[in-house]
Amino acid sequence: MAWRRLFITLLIIAPILWLLAFGFQRDARYINSPLIAKEAAPFTLTMFDGRKVTLEELRGKAVFLNFWASWCVPCRAEAKDLEAAWQQIKEKNMVFVGVALQDTEKDSRAFLQEFQVTYPNGRDDSGKIAVNYGVWGVPESFFIDPEGRITYKHVGGIGAPMVKTKLAEALRGIVTAKEGRGESQSVR
Amino acid sequence: MLKSFSLIRRHITPFKRRTPRALPLPSETVLSSRTNVRDLRKISRCGSKQGFLPEFTLSLAEGVEMTERLLIVCLLFFATPIFAATAPDLDDRTRAIAAELRCVVCQNLSVADSPSEMAQQMKGIIREQLQAGKTPAEIKNYFVSKYGEWVLLAPSTKGFGLVVWLLPFVALLAGLGLGIWLLRRWVAKRKKREPNSVEPALLARVRQEATIGKAVEHGAEDSSQKSELIQERTRLYADLKELEFDFQAGKLSATDYGDLRQEIESKAVSVLQRLDALSESVQSKTAPKKPQKKTRAEKAGETKVAGLRGWRLAAGGAFLLLFGLALGVALTKSLRPRASEGDTMTGDFLTGTGSPATNSEVASSLQEGKAAFAKQDWAKAIDAFKKALASDPNQAEAHAYMGFILVQAGHADGALMAFDKALAVAPNLPMALWGKGMTLYQAKQDYAGAREAFEKLLRLMPPGQERSEVEKVLAEISPGGQPGKPPPQTASAAANPSNQISGKITLDPKLTANVDKQATLFIIARPAGAAGGPPLAVKKIEQPVFPLSYSLGSENLMMQGRPFAGKVTISVRLDKDGNPVTRQAGDLTGEYKNPVDVGSKNVDIELDQMAK
Repeated sequence: MAWRRLFITLLIIAPILWLLAFGFQRDARYINSPLIAKEAAPFTLTMFDGRKVTLEELRGKAVFLNFWASWCVPCRAEAKDLEAAWQQIKEKNMVFVGVALQDTEKDSRAFLQEFQVTYPNGRDDSGKIAVNYGVWGVPESFFIDPEGRITYKHVGGIGAPMVKTKLAEALRGIVTAKEGRGESQSVR
Repeated sequence: MLKSFSLIRRHITPFKRRTPRALPLPSETVLSSRTNVRDLRKISRCGSKQGFLPEFTLSLAEGVEMTERLLIVCLLFFATPIFAATAPDLDDRTRAIAAELRCVVCQNLSVADSPSEMAQQMKGIIREQLQAGKTPAEIKNYFVSKYGEWVLLAPSTKGFGLVVWLLPFVALLAGLGLGIWLLRRWVAKRKKREPNSVEPALLARVRQEATIGKAVEHGAEDSSQKSELIQERTRLYADLKELEFDFQAGKLSATDYGDLRQEIESKAVSVLQRLDALSESVQSKTAPKKPQKKTRAEKAGETKVAGLRGWRLAAGGAFLLLFGLALGVALTKSLRPRASEGDTMTGDFLTGTGSPATNSEVASSLQEGKAAFAKQDWAKAIDAFKKALASDPNQAEAHAYMGFILVQAGHADGALMAFDKALAVAPNLPMALWGKGMTLYQAKQDYAGAREAFEKLLRLMPPGQERSEVEKVLAEISPGGQPGKPPPQTASAAANPSNQISGKITLDPKLTANVDKQATLFIIARPAGAAGGPPLAVKKIEQPVFPLSYSLGSENLMMQGRPFAGKVTISVRLDKDGNPVTRQAGDLTGEYKNPVDVGSKNVDIELDQMAK
């Protein structure tokens, strides 16, 4: 009788405790993207040099799409690495596109100049591209395969080796369901 | 996938037309006339507001002249109030939808309530989609397709979200059910106990005897107790009869009758029981104690059961109380500031991320150290940072602060080690990079190393005042890894008397009485213009005798390798405890007001102030 009672008590308390522990372990702000392995939202980005780039015209290439802001520290940390990676794989069937978010044009330009970024970059001043990709902070990076499908998402700073690996995978259409996490991500 | 894609496509189309579909526009012919579209929109809004839209549109179709005239009238009289009146409608609708969406960069704030830029942009998107004629459900679906169910403040009533909706009601029902079940069990137990006192057989006997009117029986063995009981019984039977009579006569209501009857009957039953017990004891006088013993044992058993029940209740209550206390204490104890973005608020056993006590200890030691550091109380700061590092050797910030303290004390190598430790834990810690760079540059003259550290730091710093400072320092080191403007060589400076400051220190006669014989004199040189920060050079003289001649040179530098040059401010302190890092009441101080150049002579200072 006593054992049965204890068992029933535990049966009630254990799930509550588990729920508590589960709740505390989670980062309430983290948003798991529902977009992985889905069609990437098309966009038209006006670049800082005035030209336009659309996702449509990048079909057939693996695309590395990076959302950044000049005020974001991890973005600064990764900027040089990204440019280095771009220099190394420029010739292949891969493209980099940078999207500045929640940033003034002046600051963005200064950032690009500072890190001597040569890959195409533009500003998403209305935030529409960002929302279309479910962005909730910077930096966030997306890898898109030649068919226009998101194969991988990385939240936070990313390094050159990861960019190269995941771009190569994207080129072959390999999807990584689990999101990558890098050095802390900034929100404003 | 196809569905979401088409949704995206629909959204992506730029919404150039800003007119809400709800408001009818004038016909195409009018639109193509001279009047421009924007003005017409105002008219149509103006018209719809006034409720004469049909006639008005008709007049529009009739001729442009009329249109223009009306337009002017309308613009003159209605334009402003109308804009004020129609815009809130869209604003309200935008707000209503935004209130149901979670701001993606905040914590538990709706898009409507969040002041963040991202939320403003999301509101802009909602507004545009509303203007494009999308329904609120479609707009919410759009955001869900991008951010998942997470973005809805109220989860959907499908799938797992349904659980969230139903769970409270299920819990409520379960609680209600449990309550009812417990109550019923309780009542049933009580009922079961009651009939024990009123045995049906005895009750039947009471009823039977009462109706036939049991004769008063007097036996030879009458004891006073028994006759009393018999009298009582007779009286109760009479009461029962009377009650019956009253009820038949209609003097009593059925419920009153029932209640009274039950009461009298139960009394009678107990009298009968006592009578029976009495006659039994008379019959078996040879063993009169046996039944008594039995009842005592029974009673003991009963109290035992009752006691056990009480204990159980008490134990349950105590358990609940302890559980609540433990939970409360554990939770509050494990709370700590988030160390990083991905960190949780609770540590230790709840999440398996290190002991909460240590974490809060580390945090408080760190805080203490920083406060002491800001007050230049180096000894206290060292203690605090050491304590923090003892609890958590991976505290990058504590390592960095230790580095700064060490470099100020002239231990460049130790400082470099500390900065490297900090950088090993947090490679991008700006203060550690700054400290390493400065130490390498000024103390070690390792310009290439300093450059590397500063360049890395520069990459991490957003534009601002701090950044320009780093840039300035970096500019001093030329790209070749050599100093652009070589700092004055300190090696030769030691021998050079022109790199010394000398003068006399005197004591204010008024303060002679306050001089502690055991006190130590410190002569401190700080770079001119630096309000706080570490001193450039310090000379220590134990048990000084005034007046005193002094000289301060590069051998007194706090940080080796730093140039002892330029303008400095000189101050002196007669310190009671001889500890350079503490200041206490009774210490005598004096200052040479104007900054002096290194090489000056006759820098005479008077000790004329007393610290309070």
